[in-house]
Amino acid sequence: MALSCKHINFYYPGTDSLIFKDLSLDIVNPGLHAIFGPSGVGKTSLARLICKELTPSKGLIRTPDINALLYAYNMERLPDWSSIDRHLERITPEHNIARKQALVKHFGLLPVLNQRFGQLSLGQQNRINLARYLVQDFDMLIMDECLANVDEKTREHILLTIKDMFPQLFFVYISHNVAEVAKFCSRIWVLRTPGHHPQTCCIRGRDFKNGQTLDRQAFEKTMLEIMNAS
Amino acid sequence: MLLRRMYQFGLIYFSGIAFLFLVKYSLGLSDYVIPGPGATWQIAGQVALRYARDVSNTLAVAVVGQFVSLFFAFIVGICGRQATWFGSLIKVAAYNVQAYPIVAIAPILFILLGDGFFTRLLIAAMICYFPLLLSILGIMSEPVIDIEHFYRQTQRMRWQLEVKIRAFENLHKLTTVISGSATLAMAGTIVAEFIAANAGIGYSIRIALYQSDLGKILVALFIIGITVSLYQGLLERIGYVIKAIWGRSQ
Repeated sequence: MALSCKHINFYYPGTDSLIFKDLSLDIVNPGLHAIFGPSGVGKTSLARLICKELTPSKGLIRTPDINALLYAYNMERLPDWSSIDRHLERITPEHNIARKQALVKHFGLLPVLNQRFGQLSLGQQNRINLARYLVQDFDMLIMDECLANVDEKTREHILLTIKDMFPQLFFVYISHNVAEVAKFCSRIWVLRTPGHHPQTCCIRGRDFKNGQTLDRQAFEKTMLEIMNAS
Repeated sequence: MLLRRMYQFGLIYFSGIAFLFLVKYSLGLSDYVIPGPGATWQIAGQVALRYARDVSNTLAVAVVGQFVSLFFAFIVGICGRQATWFGSLIKVAAYNVQAYPIVAIAPILFILLGDGFFTRLLIAAMICYFPLLLSILGIMSEPVIDIEHFYRQTQRMRWQLEVKIRAFENLHKLTTVISGSATLAMAGTIVAEFIAANAGIGYSIRIALYQSDLGKILVALFIIGITVSLYQGLLERIGYVIKAIWGRSQ
């Protein structure tokens, strides 16, 4: 068991409106999983609860098989005092240098390595940020809209690369894009507003990988299931 | 930057002078109360050089005092940035102590330490220390979450890196605060000299005041204003160069 959330209640201090009421979800197998839901439903709050930046008012969150859990989000920045290359060099562990080189190539970052973070487009910034997390040693990575500003084609390529390179690791992908989560994720946890019970609904995604052919009919059915659940 | 500051000062100074002359001529005041333009110009010719030397003396004390207070403000600001009991204690102490008008302690210092260089330096440093400390505490206590998040997640955050990130991200604010504190340091030194010292432009102003010589005071104000504007412009320029070098290096 990688992640187990049982009967979570949560509200922000100073407010009395519950964000989560009796929320439960678990992630058992490695791969790309998604948390999906409309804006404001609490996806980021759930991510911050999982990585212990927040504490639930009630319930239990456990990550028994996870030693290193990282949480990345799309608004993150790198300090502008060094070039991208220098930053990556400093934060990459010695044994992950080959991984860094592969990620730089696959994420299309070679042309921007000598630039500063502030000089890059939002899409390039998103890719750099995700790459620096992927060169760390981790068991689970929560990606909170990490590719929000990246174009669709590059985003697909990046997701497929991650699935190819890290088949044994756990990824939780937070996104608003129903087609994307339906196509690439193996489990989609649809988050619903506190009035609904249960507050989460698990849908099986298509878990599309490089070299496979997408079953269009099943894909559309998955999308419909997600939309109906939310 | 340098020129802009001098233009700004010139505009304010000559507006003030024009207003004084307007008051003088509209109320028919004698040269003894407010000297006319010709008399003021004549006084300037007599005392400008001596006053320029006095202002340099005062500025030297103010600069040393400002750097001393800057050093201590950074030390205390860095220690007090954390959300621990120690950080909270430092913040509360800083906010409460700064509420007391430090200049009121100046006579005690003169009684205890005499009217030499060290007393002027101490008063200058004390007057600009607390505003500097509050600004630096504010900057150092405010996390730059979007940058710091990664280093915290990957257990790489050290206090040196935290200070570096916060200083780099707020370099413009820091430069403004430091250049603003130059005025405070100068004011502190002049006040100290005015109270009891035996050198500096504050001492010369005190003599002019006893002589009721407004002309000399106007000349002194002009030289002080120009000197402080130059110094502030220089500090802003240094901040700009540091940012450019920091951004270019590595």
